Amino acid sequence: MKEQLEEIRRRAMSELGDNADEAQVDAVRVRVLGRSGELTEIMRRMREVPNEERPAIGQLINQIKREVEARVEELSEKLKAAALDKSLNEKRIDVTLPGMRIARGRIHPITDIMEQMLQIFESLGFEVEMTQDIEDDFHNFEALNFKEHHPARDMQDTFYVEGGMLLRTHTSNGQIRVMEKRRPPLAIVCPGKCYRRDDLSVRASPMFTQIEGFMVDKIGRVTMAHLKGVLTQFAQAFFGATAIRFRASYFPFTEPSAELDMHCLLCDGAGCPVCKHSGWTEVLGCGMIHPNVLRAVGCDPAEYQGFAFGIGVERTGLLKLGVDDMRLFFENDLRFLAQFPALSGGVR
Amino acid sequence: MKLPLSWLKDFVNVDATADEIARRLSAAGLVVENVECLAPGFAGVFAAKVLQVEKHPNADRLNLCEVDAGEKGKFKVVCGAPNVHAGMIAPLALIGARLGKEPPLEAATIRGVQSEGMLCSERELGLSQDHQGILALSAAAPLGSDVAAYLHLDDTIFDVEITPNRGDCLSILGLAREVSALFSVKLRAPKLRATHSPESPDAAQVSVTIEAPDLCPRYAALAMTRIKIGPSPAWLKRRLELCGMRALNNVVDATNYVMLELGQPLHAFDWTKIAGGKIIVRRAGDTREFTTLDNVARTLDAQDLLIADAEKPLAIAGVMGGLNSEVSDSTDAILLESAYFEPMTIARTARRLGLRSEASYRFERGIDRAGQVAALIRVAELIRKIAGGRESSIIADFEPRKAEPREITLDLNAMEALLGVATPAATAKSRLKALGAQVTTRGKAMLAVVPPSFRPDLNEQADLVEEVARLSGLEDIPASMPARIATLAVVNPEREFIKGTREVMLGCGLTEAATLAFTAPGENQRFPGIRSTLVPVKVTNPLSAELGELRLSLLAGLVAALRFNLNREAVSFHAFEIGKTFAMEGDLPHEENRLAAISYGTYALAAIGEPGVKAGFFSLKGVLESYLDAIGISSRVSFRPVAEGEAPFLHPGRGAIVMLDGNAVGLIGELHPAEAMRLDLNDPCALYELDLSKFIAYGLSPRKTIEAPPRFPAIRRDLALVLDRNFPADVVIRTIRECGSSLLVSVEIFDVYEGNAVAAGMKSVALACRYRAKDRTLTDEEVNRVHALLVEQARRRLGAELRQ
Repeated sequence: MKEQLEEIRRRAMSELGDNADEAQVDAVRVRVLGRSGELTEIMRRMREVPNEERPAIGQLINQIKREVEARVEELSEKLKAAALDKSLNEKRIDVTLPGMRIARGRIHPITDIMEQMLQIFESLGFEVEMTQDIEDDFHNFEALNFKEHHPARDMQDTFYVEGGMLLRTHTSNGQIRVMEKRRPPLAIVCPGKCYRRDDLSVRASPMFTQIEGFMVDKIGRVTMAHLKGVLTQFAQAFFGATAIRFRASYFPFTEPSAELDMHCLLCDGAGCPVCKHSGWTEVLGCGMIHPNVLRAVGCDPAEYQGFAFGIGVERTGLLKLGVDDMRLFFENDLRFLAQFPALSGGVR
Repeated sequence: MKLPLSWLKDFVNVDATADEIARRLSAAGLVVENVECLAPGFAGVFAAKVLQVEKHPNADRLNLCEVDAGEKGKFKVVCGAPNVHAGMIAPLALIGARLGKEPPLEAATIRGVQSEGMLCSERELGLSQDHQGILALSAAAPLGSDVAAYLHLDDTIFDVEITPNRGDCLSILGLAREVSALFSVKLRAPKLRATHSPESPDAAQVSVTIEAPDLCPRYAALAMTRIKIGPSPAWLKRRLELCGMRALNNVVDATNYVMLELGQPLHAFDWTKIAGGKIIVRRAGDTREFTTLDNVARTLDAQDLLIADAEKPLAIAGVMGGLNSEVSDSTDAILLESAYFEPMTIARTARRLGLRSEASYRFERGIDRAGQVAALIRVAELIRKIAGGRESSIIADFEPRKAEPREITLDLNAMEALLGVATPAATAKSRLKALGAQVTTRGKAMLAVVPPSFRPDLNEQADLVEEVARLSGLEDIPASMPARIATLAVVNPEREFIKGTREVMLGCGLTEAATLAFTAPGENQRFPGIRSTLVPVKVTNPLSAELGELRLSLLAGLVAALRFNLNREAVSFHAFEIGKTFAMEGDLPHEENRLAAISYGTYALAAIGEPGVKAGFFSLKGVLESYLDAIGISSRVSFRPVAEGEAPFLHPGRGAIVMLDGNAVGLIGELHPAEAMRLDLNDPCALYELDLSKFIAYGLSPRKTIEAPPRFPAIRRDLALVLDRNFPADVVIRTIRECGSSLLVSVEIFDVYEGNAVAAGMKSVALACRYRAKDRTLTDEEVNRVHALLVEQARRRLGAELRQ
């Protein structure tokens, strides 16, 4: 019996070599340690063993059982570890490959630029008002001191539509629309689309975006010096403008009228083909609201005064973006649009 | 307006550089767009008088001339020009002169006779291609003077943009006045001598009748005789050309010259063509047609102002003269017209006829109200000099309507209140005076200002403030910040709503597009947008037929943008636009804020090696649903399949009308396959468009109340109903909701099955119902009871089979 046991131990241990696989280990475990395994079988035959040998045989059985169990345990652990290793390796991925997603959309540059401008004016205390694109002659011209047949009307080639209406040539109609329903003090910006009879080209578009701004209060409270102050802050905030200047100009609805120039962003005032070697580029038109405009909305110019300005968003955008083709804004070429931010407002 | 520096210097002795003049003019509101420096094509050429002409001893065609070049000396030159004659003054190139790119002129011996210089043709001086003979200079040309300087060939030309309010600056004198005011140098207006008295044998009677004094308050005329029509002298031609005008003949050139100089348009009639020597200024009335001197028959309006004689019209006043009274080569007597016409009438007529002349351009902007006689005197003097004419009448000057005197009070305190800076009274006074105004001090800080007759744009105090401010280029005005007007600037809800809308679209992967509001009628027919009954707005004066209408829908533009990108390497395109669309409402055009989107190609990118999600109806509907969720109105929106003929650009089985509280507010669907084929699209193209204004109204409604999360669990029960395959799922959900008790908190579809397990033409819709009570945990028995009730009711109302 002892020999038998030694044979079981020898065979088991030899089969549980270092290279044993899971199936072999399991086979040995079942054969030796199982409920009807070799050791159980020997235990059942203990009756055949003389009494004086029983303790020694019993000890031997237990010893072999512990040895095989330990060895099986050891090998199983090793095999599990190897299996995990293998699986980890198999599940390895290339983390540099792209993820699954819905590509985020991009803000149109006109919106992006307009929002940046509006944010500046809002932070200066201006309110945003929206007004209509289809206008009548009164709100687009007459109330803005464009007399009928006056050559000033030629400055803006107008689209007329059915019903005796027109497409506004500027957002200055906002001055009239807002002041018809609200009384000063007012600080308003009116963004919107405008229309002029220009073919779509590198320089012009029949539809474009403007922001009209105006501030009206009692005489002396809103002056031309304030106009200069507000627009200087705007130019600095929006362009980081190095140098700006005001120049006398003419618009029928402002008196005095002015244009704001800034140092050319390309050459910083040195002169280059873009600024026609002047070193300056036109940014916007502005001035003190003409008394006739105030009269047209029933505001007494002896009591109130104000300033107004109008900024072309596309034109200014071209300056800021350093591109030189107006058509880019309306072609919707993804290769252009994809370069703009995916988040609106000041967040960049 | 072209301004030659040499001409400017006739009136103002300014020694600033051309760049400085340009800078100051620009800062004062007269933008100099370009400064061009002209260099003469020659040097060393002087005015010389031909004293004597003899035949060349050795050549028939050549002459030997003795010429006198003043202080340069007398010279003997050989000349082959046929027009050379004693007494003429001609350009003499001396030894060493440079003519064009030729080497310096050398002394030459021509057929044995030494020539000490060369008399030059226009071609040799590079002035023109004329090589018929030598250039005859004016008899007034000083001998020995540098011809380049005399002909103003070394000149600087300013190209000045004149704003519509500054008609007075459409003249050299007007610009010179600006320069004199800007640089504080004296203005030397041209000296005017009285016209000569007519010599009796030539005396003419000029009669003027002004029948329309409202349109022509002043008309002055002068007859001249013994005119010799011919070319103008070179210096005059040169000046006209520098100002962009073509020289015609001496009389016409003289009128144009004075117009450029003083800003007063003038017209010369052939005196013999004026019946009875009688000028009538009248409205066209019954005169329907008139042929202008460009030989075009013009249709007249009864209100057009005409210059006529006793029998016929002679000119369209202020716009263009007539062919019937044009000055011709044989004209020897003329009538010169110098009038003031009201800007409005000229503008209206010129615009209607599409006829813009140098004259009408000036009349429209308002000429000097008092400059008519001075211009006649000036032009008569010139015509005496260059066309040999003599006055044959006195100046007939009729002014049935006098200019109203204008006096404007300038309150210096009000000026300070407007500009934000004080201006010393002396500064204001001197600047206004420099511009030609009469200024008197009226008490403390008050000036009484009478604007000059040539400044119709100065009408009230603000106009004077601008004049004072602009002469310093606005540099006197400091920059300062105003007091804040609103302590709290009110947020504009419409703008915030649009911003939020944009944010959702960006997050859903759509890129913002911008398209033009103009479209072709065909596009409006193809994409009529939300309501196919809308009538497009026609543009009365479109840029082209292709841009003849305003868009009814944003979709046409987005589809065009898709095609544009597919033609340029793009394989997918997901975009939206927020913009206005236009339609007629009755007789008036109406505008509407819209949101539209387009989705084509792979929408959701999968991991590498796995299939992505292609754009289609459901991917885009998901975007729309995300938006409706975001603005909190999902529960009030439903989707109704498009009816026959509705939205014909959509796939008839894959399109829906978006309903908000039962009203159609938009549409969504895939592009009709026929349309997709036309556009050469291989994949489904999904679109939607919403009338945003309807949603903005909801976006402004107050926030709904917020509830705490439920405290008790929900219990789910499923059911599956077998229905006709075209039966809409949302009706199933709505019906079940209606049947359910108050314990039913949600119903969701989790599967739709068509196949062997259900009958042909049928589908099985599987739904999950969740039950919950607010105050307790429901028991299975309770849920089973209400669910069984719901199932039975829903089955009956929908006429559906239960699927086991």
